[in-house]
Amino acid sequence: MKLYQSTRAACFAGFLFCIACNTPPVPPEAARAKALEQDLWRTGGSLFAPGEYESFKAGLRDADERIRDEEAKFGWFRDYGTVRAELSGLVAQGEDLLRRIKDEKAAKERTFAVSAETLAARIESLIQITRYFNENEDVRKNVSQAEIKLAEARMLVAKENYDLAAKTAGEGGIFLDRAEAAAVKILDRYLDAGQRAKWRRWAEEAIEESRTKTSVVFLVNKVERKLTLYKNGEIKARYDIGLGKYGLSDKLYSGDQATPEGRYRITQKIPASRFYKALLIDYPNESDRQAFAAARSKGLIPAGAGIGGDIEIHGGGKDSLTRGCVGLDNKDMDDVYEWARVGATVIIVGAIGVENTILAEIMKFKDHASQ
Amino acid sequence: MKHLTKTVVLVLAIAVVLTGCKQPTQLINDVKAAVEKVTTDGADKYAAEELKAINDDLTKALDEVAAQDKKFFKKFGPAKEMLAAVQTKVTELAAALPAKIEAAKNAAIQLQTEAQTALTETAELLKKAPKGKGTAKDLEALQGDLTGAQTLFGEIQTALDTKDYIGAADKAKTVKDKVAAIAEQVNAAIAKVKK
Repeated sequence: MKLYQSTRAACFAGFLFCIACNTPPVPPEAARAKALEQDLWRTGGSLFAPGEYESFKAGLRDADERIRDEEAKFGWFRDYGTVRAELSGLVAQGEDLLRRIKDEKAAKERTFAVSAETLAARIESLIQITRYFNENEDVRKNVSQAEIKLAEARMLVAKENYDLAAKTAGEGGIFLDRAEAAAVKILDRYLDAGQRAKWRRWAEEAIEESRTKTSVVFLVNKVERKLTLYKNGEIKARYDIGLGKYGLSDKLYSGDQATPEGRYRITQKIPASRFYKALLIDYPNESDRQAFAAARSKGLIPAGAGIGGDIEIHGGGKDSLTRGCVGLDNKDMDDVYEWARVGATVIIVGAIGVENTILAEIMKFKDHASQ
Repeated sequence: MKHLTKTVVLVLAIAVVLTGCKQPTQLINDVKAAVEKVTTDGADKYAAEELKAINDDLTKALDEVAAQDKKFFKKFGPAKEMLAAVQTKVTELAAALPAKIEAAKNAAIQLQTEAQTALTETAELLKKAPKGKGTAKDLEALQGDLTGAQTLFGEIQTALDTKDYIGAADKAKTVKDKVAAIAEQVNAAIAKVKK
């Protein structure tokens, strides 16, 4: 009897052991598929591939249901073979989708990087250009707005909000278009070939004059911000200069802060001026008077404004804003003052060639705007 | 009488069985509506992780309902429990959401105030900066930069008005950073004069 009871207990224990040993575990692919679903969501599956993401989720739900069905069975009869195969396919599908989403995001980031680089280059170019002229508030205002928009777009890209980032960068581009248009407006007459030919003729005449006269001829190039001294047709010296707030405009009347363009003569050397040393020129000349009269008849001169005067080449610094004069650093003014003689010719031109950086850039802006 | 009692008991038994077999449609609709409401109230922006967990739980509960619905002996008890758990989570999220949105709003307003302060201080700094040798031109250009930042400052309020607090915070931060960069250049220009 005792032997029978022991045998029965052993058989029962063996039976339980067999069941335990033969209960197959849930396939590990199930956990991997669930983890993938989380990864896909975090990577933006619902945004970048909504259809495929939903299909993956549906597959995962089906697989879950099958696992539950198997789990409901007695351990001995569970078979995860079919669901395991499904899960393997699902994992492969999910991994492929995850890789594609990551690739798509990387592509979007690269596209944005190119567009951001273009915007940044345009911003830099405009900032450089505004260093050449002082009437730049409108240009700088728009460039500043573009910079802010670009920074905002970069923040959005960091948050993987690529569509809004592209829109914001586009707004930055519009501000840059406006900045370029404002720059073109300021420098438009510099792009006029007829105008430049006139300036070039003045410059050539001045250089020719320097061959025949004993005194030095002074040539001011406004857009290049240079004062060049010629003697015997050769360059004797070159200096950086500063102009007034509206220095690139041709002076028309008193207080317009513009620098006159034309052929002038030094009328006085002032050894101790308010701005270190100064060379007074004979602005307004006859041509200036005619231009003033014509402008006044067209109503372009503010009421009570005269033609102005006291235009000088003086010291005080090339970086300070003059009221229409040509400013130099004091050490350069010492040299210029030494070269200068009363009666010497001073030619002031806007520009001669378009080869210099600023006009070449402005021409690009104009081409860009016309496209 | 005995026959009537038997009939009543039988009807009640059938009713109990049938009630147990019926889909919890009302509960499903209530939970779905609650999830939808909390989403439109801003949970998708301000509590995305929590909302994702809720949506996942809701999907599981609905799958359970669908699974039971296919069976002959339907047992919706566990599905009802799952739905009730989702409803509890939605209720908790709905209660917590205003605080989360308020926190995002306050953070955006704080940044807006900081940007405004930076704008005012830098405008003052520019006004007082000595426009002497070597600075006048730079300061004029920086005034243009500041005008640009001032113009875009208005977009922060527009974003706040449309309850886009995350966007407002981003805009405020970029304006603030730009103004800080301008202030730095103004100070550099001032330092140049003092040399």
